[in-house]
Amino acid sequence: MNIHESGTSKGFYKAMPIPGAAVLIVLFLVPLFFTLSTAFLTEEGFSVSRILETFTSSYTIRILLFTLFQAALSTLASLMVALPGAYLLANYSFKGKRLIKALSTVPFVIPSILVVLGFVIFFGNNGFLNQFLMKIFNLSTPPIQILYTFKAIILAHTFFNFPIIMNLVSSYWEHMDLHCEMAAWTLGAKKSKTFRTITLPRLLPSIISSASLVFLFCYNSFAIILVLGGGPQYTTMEVEIYRLARMSMDTGGAAALSLLSIIITSLLLIWYNKSQKVLARTESYTLSSKRLEKRPTSTLGRLLALLYTLSSLLFILGPIISIVLRSFMASSTRSATEIFSLKWYRQLFALERGTGHMGSALEALNNSISIAALVAILTIPVALALATAIRKKGFASSTLELFGMLPMTVSSVIIGLGYFIISNRIRGGVGVGYTLVVLAHMVIAIPFALRTILPEYRKIPVSYMQSSLTLGASPMRTFFLIEVPLLKGALLTGGIFAFALSMGEINATLTLSNSAIVTLPIVMYRLIGSYNFQGACALGTILILVSTIVFVVSELAKGDSNGR
Amino acid sequence: MADNGLNCSIKASYEDFKLNVSFMIKTGELACIIGPSGCGKSTTLQLIAGLIQPEEGSIQLNGSDITFKAVHERQIAMVFQDYALFPHMNVAQNIAYPMKLRKINKAKRKESINRLLSLVSLEGYQKRKPQELSGGERQRVALARALASQPQLLLLDEPLSALDAKLRKHLREEIRRIHEETGITTVYVTHDQEEALSIADRIIVMHEGNVEQIGTGEEIYNKPNSLFVASFMGEGNTLPYSIIPRTLVSQVGSSSFIFKPLDGRHTIFFRPEDVTLQDDAKLPLPEFLPHLQFKHVEVEKIEFQGNHYRLTCSWEGQSIIANATRKPKTKIVTLGIRIQDFREYLDGKLVEKHALSTS
Repeated sequence: MNIHESGTSKGFYKAMPIPGAAVLIVLFLVPLFFTLSTAFLTEEGFSVSRILETFTSSYTIRILLFTLFQAALSTLASLMVALPGAYLLANYSFKGKRLIKALSTVPFVIPSILVVLGFVIFFGNNGFLNQFLMKIFNLSTPPIQILYTFKAIILAHTFFNFPIIMNLVSSYWEHMDLHCEMAAWTLGAKKSKTFRTITLPRLLPSIISSASLVFLFCYNSFAIILVLGGGPQYTTMEVEIYRLARMSMDTGGAAALSLLSIIITSLLLIWYNKSQKVLARTESYTLSSKRLEKRPTSTLGRLLALLYTLSSLLFILGPIISIVLRSFMASSTRSATEIFSLKWYRQLFALERGTGHMGSALEALNNSISIAALVAILTIPVALALATAIRKKGFASSTLELFGMLPMTVSSVIIGLGYFIISNRIRGGVGVGYTLVVLAHMVIAIPFALRTILPEYRKIPVSYMQSSLTLGASPMRTFFLIEVPLLKGALLTGGIFAFALSMGEINATLTLSNSAIVTLPIVMYRLIGSYNFQGACALGTILILVSTIVFVVSELAKGDSNGR
Repeated sequence: MADNGLNCSIKASYEDFKLNVSFMIKTGELACIIGPSGCGKSTTLQLIAGLIQPEEGSIQLNGSDITFKAVHERQIAMVFQDYALFPHMNVAQNIAYPMKLRKINKAKRKESINRLLSLVSLEGYQKRKPQELSGGERQRVALARALASQPQLLLLDEPLSALDAKLRKHLREEIRRIHEETGITTVYVTHDQEEALSIADRIIVMHEGNVEQIGTGEEIYNKPNSLFVASFMGEGNTLPYSIIPRTLVSQVGSSSFIFKPLDGRHTIFFRPEDVTLQDDAKLPLPEFLPHLQFKHVEVEKIEFQGNHYRLTCSWEGQSIIANATRKPKTKIVTLGIRIQDFREYLDGKLVEKHALSTS
């Protein structure tokens, strides 16, 4: 019945979110405002002519259709790979199950530039897979030639996203009780019929929800299409916004396209939220007890489980391990075979003169670490301040929660565009450029940090805070003595996530920054562009290290919350 | 207005109900606020603590107005229903929390922790974590922590509701003992009338946001202000006033009584333990004072309750429950209730027994 909060504690808790909200407004809405005003402002002043022209041009429509088509195809491919895996994970216990489960969280923490690199190294014409197949089957030409084609995009998206569907569907499936199926069997339905009429319809909400999420990710995909698509014939909305702004120098057109993209992303998000609500409703009347797991009995079943384990190992771990292996290889001349070498690490740490883009590698590493540390340190207080206000239920807090999640409707490329337009206006030096990178990364990190902190915050009973107040602690002391210590774990996790997000961020960074600004992913992108894959791999290995730490921390945090 | 104790007169309105309470609690008293769930008793407690704000009225504690004082400046400690022990601190740190805020030095803190833990019979529990304690132990630590803030007033919000029956009984005796040892003015919210009757110096009965009655346990149980209080505090029988002329038996003769039914719903109320019983049709009811006698009562149900039998009876279509020390031998019995043992209510409110007087 906390309807009227007490005078003084109200003061503190009311004041807390103000700086958080203010920071978010400045960081998010200001660049968005610049983007949109650029879209509406033409030489004749305020006008919708450019918007109308962009929205109706056949070129735009072609790009939009292609974006939706590749997203749909990628989602379909992901579903086809993921659903058998979800079935295996939910219904059987077998060796390697825990491994697959753990690996399936990898795409949640891996930056897209690493996916791109891993893909080139593993599936490329000269990649590990081709070398292996050529050796075994004694071939003279690489059997898999998919790089820089449409297939590569779909394959990379599938690799990147199928674990998301597998993870979500299997965890829903394994908590679904068997009673309905049993009832159907006793009523005379065959197993296959039961599966089609009972199990599948019950699973459908979770399949739709996870597929919608993957569709959204594929719609917003940037680095994969930019590099693996390999040309203007495979351009999507995000890539086109970047190209217009940075290559054709048409910021107005890019801004207009951004507006269209924001509208579509918002529609997709609304759809996704709806599917989530349906999921939450259905979930409430299924038992949360785990279903009985059985070992696969038939030889076919065992073979299938083995095959799935091996192929997920190969396709998830393969590219990552290839990056690490390749980073330790170099050849003295272009034609010589590659041997073990620390050349790229010597160049990375400036022990040896860097060749080409490797020259800026150490600077990029230093920059990325400083930027990521700054982003983590600045993001956490902002997210925490927002969380204090959102924690309570009520109109104001749900508005604020929506507001906190708002940056998700705007892709990181568009956020980058906003900051690019701002940087054109202020024309500062390199310092200003790096500041803008930090700010853009914060906008991207805040919603993620908020999502980490908020559920933990809501778990703290209000009586803890009330108790502290009645014992004589002021609201501010209560905040620092009770709330902050209890949120320590969530704040740390959120901070590490923010750090990792910033370390791997390329979409916004590439869109907003000029050539003077180097970060780890940017240099990796340039190295891939100049075909110095081993150098890129050395940088990539550093990123893998960071991602691994995040992965371990997030797994530990999961275990922690389960234990409670 | 007294200078001492708690003087509370507040109004607040919420979506579903209005709260309008006014009462006084003397220094050193243990008062229980009791009422069914949703009557506003917990809200009243939160208003006193300052966790929520009233719209109108004032709260005075030991002579000073605290209506608009911040929660942490009120010196009112509260024990919450879920105990609210801080999970990131051990027992000693929990108890030290309010003392640290008051900048009490370490040696004194340690001494107080030991003293408080022995007061709540938890010696040696300093290093335990709240998660390792049983419900009853948590409750005691919460009490010790509240006392460590040296409050002018202690509020307990259904402190025993999460515990099992046996432990509840033991702990309420402990709370009473601790209250007597510390002498802190205490407000105790409960929905259990047995708990209130056994522990409280005075009881405040609340109903739908209003105070129905304030008084000692005896007053409230034996002379309830309203039919609501009467039936909330224990079982009883409500019969229409109109049965009196037919059932009155008096040595002086029933003609010496005047019957004046009042306009409205005029009823009498009495408790089952005050009913006398005669199960031998040949013998008279063993009652010599003026009483109401119900003849040819049919016993419909007998429940054995350990120290007595609880009878559910039917008399001329009215239901009467009665407690008997022996099991009745026959199905048809005679029941009696002394005139001094029932109360009269008009439209649910207590009225003087003006209508039943010898002329």
